[in-house]
Amino acid sequence: MDVTAEAAGAACPACGRTTAEGDAFCEFCGAELAPAVDSAAAPGFVPACPVCAADAAITPAGVTADGYCESCGRKVPTGRDHVELDLGLLAGVTDRGLRHSRNEDAMALATAEVTAGPAAVAVVCDGVSSSPQPDDASLAAAQAAIRVLLDAVRMGDDLQEASREAVREAATALTALAGPAGAPSTTFVSAVIESGAGSSAPITPSTIPTVPASAQTAGEGTGPGTAAGDTVIIAPDPAAPAAGADPAAADPAPEQGEPDGVITLCWLGDSRAYWLSADGAQRLTADDSLAQEMVDSGLLGEAEALATPQAHVITRWLGADIAEPRPHVSRFEAPGPGVLLICSDGLWNYLPEAEDIASLAMPAALSDPAGTAGTLLKFALDAGGMDNITVVLVPVPLTQPRSSL
Amino acid sequence: MSFTVDVDQNQFLPEGGRTVNAVVTVTSSADMAVASSDATRSAEIIMVDCSGSMDVPSMKMSSARSAVCAAIDVLHDGTAFAVVAGTNTAWPVFPADGTMAIADPISRAAAKRAAMTLRASGGTAIGTWLRLACAVFETYPAQLRHAILLTDGKNQHETPDQLQAAISRCDGLFSCDCRGVGTDWEVAELRRISTALLGTVDIVADPASLAADFAAMMENAMGKQVADVALRIWTPQSAVVQFVKQVAPAVADLSDRRTQTGPQAGDYPTGAWGPGESRDYHVSVAVNPAGVGQEMLAARVSLVLGSDVLGQGLVRAVWTDDEALSTKINPQVAHYTGQAELAAAIQDGLEARKQGDEETATAKLGRAVKLAQQSGNEDTAKLLAKVVDVVDAATGTVRLKKSVADADEMALDTRSTKTVRVKKEHG
Repeated sequence: MDVTAEAAGAACPACGRTTAEGDAFCEFCGAELAPAVDSAAAPGFVPACPVCAADAAITPAGVTADGYCESCGRKVPTGRDHVELDLGLLAGVTDRGLRHSRNEDAMALATAEVTAGPAAVAVVCDGVSSSPQPDDASLAAAQAAIRVLLDAVRMGDDLQEASREAVREAATALTALAGPAGAPSTTFVSAVIESGAGSSAPITPSTIPTVPASAQTAGEGTGPGTAAGDTVIIAPDPAAPAAGADPAAADPAPEQGEPDGVITLCWLGDSRAYWLSADGAQRLTADDSLAQEMVDSGLLGEAEALATPQAHVITRWLGADIAEPRPHVSRFEAPGPGVLLICSDGLWNYLPEAEDIASLAMPAALSDPAGTAGTLLKFALDAGGMDNITVVLVPVPLTQPRSSL
Repeated sequence: MSFTVDVDQNQFLPEGGRTVNAVVTVTSSADMAVASSDATRSAEIIMVDCSGSMDVPSMKMSSARSAVCAAIDVLHDGTAFAVVAGTNTAWPVFPADGTMAIADPISRAAAKRAAMTLRASGGTAIGTWLRLACAVFETYPAQLRHAILLTDGKNQHETPDQLQAAISRCDGLFSCDCRGVGTDWEVAELRRISTALLGTVDIVADPASLAADFAAMMENAMGKQVADVALRIWTPQSAVVQFVKQVAPAVADLSDRRTQTGPQAGDYPTGAWGPGESRDYHVSVAVNPAGVGQEMLAARVSLVLGSDVLGQGLVRAVWTDDEALSTKINPQVAHYTGQAELAAAIQDGLEARKQGDEETATAKLGRAVKLAQQSGNEDTAKLLAKVVDVVDAATGTVRLKKSVADADEMALDTRSTKTVRVKKEHG
């Protein structure tokens, strides 16, 4: 399933009339011009077997109504099992993986055109398998959150506050799903990417101190971080290896000029955001997990912590059983060209280090986010595909790739 | 009449597992809504052995005449029919011109009068009877063609190859139920005919029961409504159908009856169906394993009549690393694997006994006793007890009887393929 963004100024998809560039809604019929897209199940099955399509030795055949390849017999993915979304500015893929019977990850993507330039919004949620209806939970949360965030971007609202509001709306959506079986729950990570300095009021470094990203500790009581709900400005990590680049380029220097983009992140649980660049790839989120707590408290190194049986027990989540979710919110100013990755643990389990992901994804992700999302998915599947896998890539600065113009 | 196709299987395979087994149950609905004009679609031929041995004792020939009359009485009005006599050659008895008559009170009476003139004299060349039946059937365009063949002796006056060629000529044209009267005929010979022509074979040891048996066979034939129903089995590329066996009501291996109908599909004949019938088929397919967590359609089993699909069932394969799932043996598959082994053990045991290999005969028939007991196949257990002294059925300990009536041995042989069903755990 491919969804391609409507180019600004194109015909309204509902009434066909030409719209003004930057309009969110059609001036004539009121239709939403660039609505958010998500990984909700497309009806039926994919039209071609992905296994046979990749094998030149197999004669291509159709897919039966009940979802089996007419050639190799394999069950082909349903819409929800494997969804690719490509909005040009950003692209994502979500996949069932190899060991789970369904895809409990969900994603939602959107773009907008505001005065400062193009903007992009992405939400990734990973349903908590031990809760009821985790697949419904992740999708409902992603759908609720993206609406709030897209509205906020269009209106030029404060994006940190909007991120918290998006989490509250997502929590409300989960409450509606809750039943006698318990509370559907999900992890949550959202990202709003604005061009240049961003449209919302920047937080001046004098009011809130810049926390080096090496600390990466926005969790409450889990280390030297700040209280949950506080805003953390993550500057490029001076300690990160500068792969052959000028170390000065990685210095935190927000006053030195306009950044290439501003990213507002908000998360709960262990779905992650990474900044990928040639000279300073880094993780932008800190997991709410027992493994992270062990690392933060100095008990174990990261590799050791992840190897423990409880490593993936998450300590915070979004669920109908959480009355007031307290998400982490942070703001990241892109120091130069790079790519924002947000993903579920189905990817990072196999490749936790930012530099390693960057070496696999860069520089291709800068120009081909959709293709590179597929590369990262294939990597996770080849590594075992133990969990559902979701990968969203946003090249910064935000530019429409030539191919979709 | 409509059909349902149900699949019973354990779809879970261990990592790398390739063999997928399933029991496919085909059931026809009980509704009989058939207009009387539909009877014109069916044709019946009765083939009667008139060789000299039919007069030894003379009651065999007179019982055969009565049996033909009993079968004619059962014919529905409008059914095309004929009676053929066979010795070392064959000739039409009724109608005498080698065509078919349409059943009504007048034709039935005429046919019975003709049947009463049958006399025993001559040899036995069953292939010539089958060839004449083909020629007679071809004079009348019927959709359901069925024959009854009665003999009392071995096929002495032609070679096995000649008989085989005649069987091949009939294959696909009509189905045939075979009966042997007395004990001087060859079970393997009649089984070759009945298996190829999708019919039954049985012994009628006492000529006095022939009339009732013929009437029952014709009654059953009159109940059939559709002919030439086939199981179409689709399999994935590079998969191999290991076998297709009918396993209920009796074991019949259909594996080498496959007709390729597409690059990945083949048809296996099931013959004619009447309302309210249910048959089980054991299908075994070897597939290329997919990864753990993946699902594959290992076979699609469709019931087809010409180009119409009457019903469909899916045989699936799901690879799992959960041993509790992959090691579970499906009770239906296990049961019918045992029933097929039971039939083979009886046939092998009787053959060994004939060859004088008492050790093998005791082992095979002991195994059969154990399997019959375990599966609750009481009819077969009773037949076995006439051939061996059962010391302990649970362990299969038996002694060969010193003297066994030929009729008992032949009854065990012909009925060795009869199976019983197990209560399904679900569905």
